[in-house]
Amino acid sequence: MARTFLLQTAWVFLLLPLAASAEDDSWLTRSGYYRISYKSELQPIEINRIHSWVVHIESPAGEPLLGAEISVTGGMPLHNHGLPTDPKMTTEIGNGDYRLEGVRFHMNGYWELLVTIDVDGKRDTVIVPLDL
Amino acid sequence: MTSITSRNTGALVVMVVLLAAGWWLYGPRSPSTWTATDLAILQSLSIDNLPPLPPDPSNAVADSETAARFGHRLFFDTRLSANGSVSCATCHQAERRFSDGLPKGRGIGLSGRNSRSIVGTAYSPWLYWDGRRDSQWAQALSPLEDPAEHGGNRMQFVRLIGDDPAYRHFYELLFGSLPDFSDRRRFPDAAAPVADPALRAAWQEMTAADQHSVNIAFANLGKAIAAYERLILPGPSRFDAYVRAVLSGNQTTAEGILSNEEILGLQLFIGEARCTECHNGPLFTNNEFHNTGVLTFPGDLPDRGRIDGVRLVRNDPFNCLGEYSDDPDRNCPELTYVRTGIELIAATRTPSLRNLGGTAPYSHKGQHDTLASVLDLYNRAPLAMIGHNEVEKPLGLSRRELKWLEAFLGSLDAPLATELEWLTAPVN
Repeated sequence: MARTFLLQTAWVFLLLPLAASAEDDSWLTRSGYYRISYKSELQPIEINRIHSWVVHIESPAGEPLLGAEISVTGGMPLHNHGLPTDPKMTTEIGNGDYRLEGVRFHMNGYWELLVTIDVDGKRDTVIVPLDL
Repeated sequence: MTSITSRNTGALVVMVVLLAAGWWLYGPRSPSTWTATDLAILQSLSIDNLPPLPPDPSNAVADSETAARFGHRLFFDTRLSANGSVSCATCHQAERRFSDGLPKGRGIGLSGRNSRSIVGTAYSPWLYWDGRRDSQWAQALSPLEDPAEHGGNRMQFVRLIGDDPAYRHFYELLFGSLPDFSDRRRFPDAAAPVADPALRAAWQEMTAADQHSVNIAFANLGKAIAAYERLILPGPSRFDAYVRAVLSGNQTTAEGILSNEEILGLQLFIGEARCTECHNGPLFTNNEFHNTGVLTFPGDLPDRGRIDGVRLVRNDPFNCLGEYSDDPDRNCPELTYVRTGIELIAATRTPSLRNLGGTAPYSHKGQHDTLASVLDLYNRAPLAMIGHNEVEKPLGLSRRELKWLEAFLGSLDAPLATELEWLTAPVN
C-alpha cells in the first residue's frame, strides 16, 4: 500500500525542481502570469558590495511587460534571516526592463529572493534562488 | 592457568582499545589538506584581497594629506572636551589598536558601550555597534558632544578653531574662510542641539542661518578627523603570509608560518564553526548587524542595538543624504536602501577579527574578558535576552577545538599598515 502510494506520488517530486527553475535562468511566477530574469551589474555577484540589478519581466509567451510594480524581499532560509538591505525598483528602463537598486548579500550560501510583480493589478510572486 | 591468560589477554585488548581511543580523541592531530573551495575562502579572507580604500564622496577632503595632518592634531587634542582632559585618543589608543582595554569607554563619564577600534573603519558603511552613523566624519562628531565622552559643544569647538592660529590656518587652507564667531550675542560661548537644557536653549536662540554656519564648520572638523582615520589600516598578519604560501603551492613554507593548532583552528573557522558566515572578507567582518545572544552588561537593560541605530542614522543631520554631505549627487545607496525590522532587535555590528590581541574585553559592552569566553558563547548559543539569537544551534565544539580556534585568531594580529608618525601625538 505504502509502496503504491510512493510510486504514485514520486513523479510529483521529480517535477518539483521545474516549478522553481526554468531554462536560461528565468523563472515563471507561481500562477504562471509572468516570467522573470535578471542581470546583476556586479559580475560575479560578491558578498558585502551594494549594487543594482536589471530585472526583466515578460509574459510566458516572451512578450516584454511594461508598467510593472516590483517589490523584493528575501533572505537565507537556512539561517532564518532576511536581506541586509531593502532593495527597491527605482526606474522602468523600457522593453520590460526595470532597475532594482540596493541589492547586497552579507554571507555566502543559499539565498532566496521573493519577487512580487504587479501589472495592472494582476499580482504574482516567484522565488528566485541564488547560490553565493 | 588458561583462564588467567585469557583474562590477561582480555585486559590487554581493553587497554589497547582505550589507548587507541584516547590517542584518537586527544592525540596530536594533523590538519587535512585544503580543497579548492577552502582555497577560495582562504583567498577571500587574505589581506591581499582588500580592495583600495573606497572613496567617500560625502567628504571632499577625505584623501587630502593636509586634512589628515589637521585631523591628526584634532584627534589628540584634549581641548576638544568639556574639561580639557579628553581627546579621541583617550578611548582610541594606538598602542591598543585604537581601543581602550575597558568594558565601556571612559571619557568625562562612563560611555554606554565598548570603544570600537577605528582600524579599517574607512571600509565600513556603518559606524558604531548599532551603525547609528554612516561615515567616519559623521561618527567623529558624535562623541565630541556626548556628555559621557568629550562632553563639549559645537560652538566651543568651532570657536577653538578660530582662536588657535595653527588650526585656523589648516581650516582655511582646506575649507575657505572660517565665519566670524566673535559676536557673542549671535554666537554664545556654549551652544548645541543636545539634551542638556542650557546648551539646547542657547542653540535655539540662534538664527537658523547662524546655526547652519556653525554646523558647516563643525562638520568640517569631523571631515578632517576622518581624513586622518582613513590612514589607520590593518597590516598583513601571519595568516596572510600563510595563505600566500599555500596559494603559491609552497606547503613547506606555509607549515613554518602557522602551527598545527592554528591551522586546525583555521579549518574549523572556515568550516564546522561557521565563523565566516559573518566574519568574512579580508577584514573578517561583513559590517552587518547580528543578534548573537550576548548577555547584557550587569545592571544594564538589554541593548536594543541596530533597531535603534537605523532610526538614529536616518535622523542624523550629518548623514550621507544630509545637507552637510559634499556629494552633490547624494549617492548614498546604503542609507537609501537601509532596512529595519524585528530581526534587528539587539543586533550589533560584526567586529573585525584582525588585531584582537590586546583589545579585550570584547562585545558591545565588554561583556567578555577573553576570546575563550566569546567562543564559549557560540558553543552554547543561549536564548537572546531580547530579540532572536541568530546562532540557533550550539556549535558543540570540544575544548580542544575551541583552543585551536583561539590559537588561529591569534594569527591575525599584526602591526598596522600605518606609518608610525600617525600613531603617536603629532609633534607641533
